[in-house]
Amino acid sequence: MGMPARLRRGLLSLLGLLLVVVLLFPLVWMLASSFKPLVEIMTSQPQLLPKNPTVANYAQILWATSEVKNFPRFVMNSLQVSLGTMMLTLILATLGGYGLSRFRYRGKQTLSRLMLFIYVFPAVPLLIPVYKLMTRVGLFDTHWALILVNTTFAAPFCTWLLTSFFRAIPKELEEAAEVDGATPVAAFIRIVLPLAAPGLVTIGAYSLITAWGEYMFASVLVIDNLKKTAPLGLATYMADQYIEWGPLSAGAVLVVLPVLLLFYPVAQRFIQGFIAGAVKS
Amino acid sequence: MRRSWVGPALLTPIAALIVMMILIPLGEGIRQAFIQAPLGIGPGRFVGWANFSRVLGDPVFWQALKNSLVWTASNLILQLTLPLFIALLLNERFTGNSLVRTVLLTPWITPGVVVAVMFRWILEPTIGIMNDMLFTAGLISKPLILLGSRSHALPTLIAINTWKFLPFGTLLILASLQTIPQELREASRADGASFWQQLGRVTLPIITPMIWFVAFLAFTWNFNLFDLIWLTTEGGPANASMTLPVLIYKKAFKMLQMGDAAAIAVMASAVLVVLGVLYFKFAAPPEEG
Repeated sequence: MGMPARLRRGLLSLLGLLLVVVLLFPLVWMLASSFKPLVEIMTSQPQLLPKNPTVANYAQILWATSEVKNFPRFVMNSLQVSLGTMMLTLILATLGGYGLSRFRYRGKQTLSRLMLFIYVFPAVPLLIPVYKLMTRVGLFDTHWALILVNTTFAAPFCTWLLTSFFRAIPKELEEAAEVDGATPVAAFIRIVLPLAAPGLVTIGAYSLITAWGEYMFASVLVIDNLKKTAPLGLATYMADQYIEWGPLSAGAVLVVLPVLLLFYPVAQRFIQGFIAGAVKS
Repeated sequence: MRRSWVGPALLTPIAALIVMMILIPLGEGIRQAFIQAPLGIGPGRFVGWANFSRVLGDPVFWQALKNSLVWTASNLILQLTLPLFIALLLNERFTGNSLVRTVLLTPWITPGVVVAVMFRWILEPTIGIMNDMLFTAGLISKPLILLGSRSHALPTLIAINTWKFLPFGTLLILASLQTIPQELREASRADGASFWQQLGRVTLPIITPMIWFVAFLAFTWNFNLFDLIWLTTEGGPANASMTLPVLIYKKAFKMLQMGDAAAIAVMASAVLVVLGVLYFKFAAPPEEG
């Protein structure tokens, strides 16, 4: 015995709205509060919207920089690390995903499983050995160390996601191009890559997001204040005896906003790509 | 058919990275567990199982182990059930559905350090909005301490972490729901099946492999989670929210007891690898060969 369709849909919409509030409230709260003057922050009866909005918090985090707290620099460092991670991941996952989908050889299935199985290993135990490894090869305290670590943890999953995209592209298209005289590499670049574009967008976004927010390895592999990434930088503000919530929230907004702005336009595509990659049938 | 060496050759770069960054360090980590080096400096000397026996005699280790089990199990249960119902909701037609889908991933994209900042502020006992709302609603009469309380810290962190990881499971389960033919659902509804009957007889059997996959991802992620706990409570107060990853990090990089940290790491990894092997043996990922 069903309820009237319109009532049912209205109730579902209400549930959906509630969900949106739960998902977004913490961020909305922080965004609104980042425009509050100190008196509106240090009160036991905080309001959602600032009464006297100010950009002082942003001015402070962006311009009141010191040797230890150079926020604009932190953001630039994060940008460098995450773009580097994205590019390296795209290259490795494209090669690997193609290698796992187009050719037949023994052990392929095992290799494909391995791409997921490595996520079983906890990352924390790797901290000490990776720290020592980076010291030994001279990459300690460089952004390369972070790019390599982030790529290691993003690329296998991305490879696994990409295989289904490559599998979905008919082999005949490439073969036809080769019959027309294109080399296998040219056929791959001109035919396969454009068709796999949704997959590439998906893994590009995935690797960028994971690298942008990475904290644990960065906290161990980088010590120079001028090389710290944004998550590390924010953590220094949070470790203060007296936390300045205003500038801290402004900084947090500046860390989360770029990824959200970058992500929302490709969200639907990312979700579709993710679904296509995860439901392999 | 192309030559058979091309496929494996294309996998060399990523395989090299995995060997260099995961397998070799893992071996090195195991070696470290049997070495004692003062302050982690120098090559150290072989001490057999001494690190393990010291760790096993440390009450903090047992506390962390217990917390890790509570943490992983609670997160797993919440991150399987809630996403299932959210996915069922999103699989229905209603106004605003696409809005929910667009913002769905927001918590997951939000970097861990930002999540820590937001919730520390919201839950702050004196200036946080949470306390103000609870006051206004008449639910509390004195400030409620959450992250700073021995009894509330771990449950609070579980709630925050679930908020962050809800979207991912929802997305995957929703993907799986969409493979169920619309006719099948309508047919069972026309047969008079209730919501729960439909869920049990039609929906769950089809999405079970995906549920297992989400369980696998959620298990490894939650067990290994570090940044949220470290940046909010550092495992405190009085080790109340100390989990194994946080303890390993603290011992290695704050207390400079590399040998002890490595011993704990070896034990934690062993458990995870056994569970991982079991998963891949009995509930392989949703994929054809």
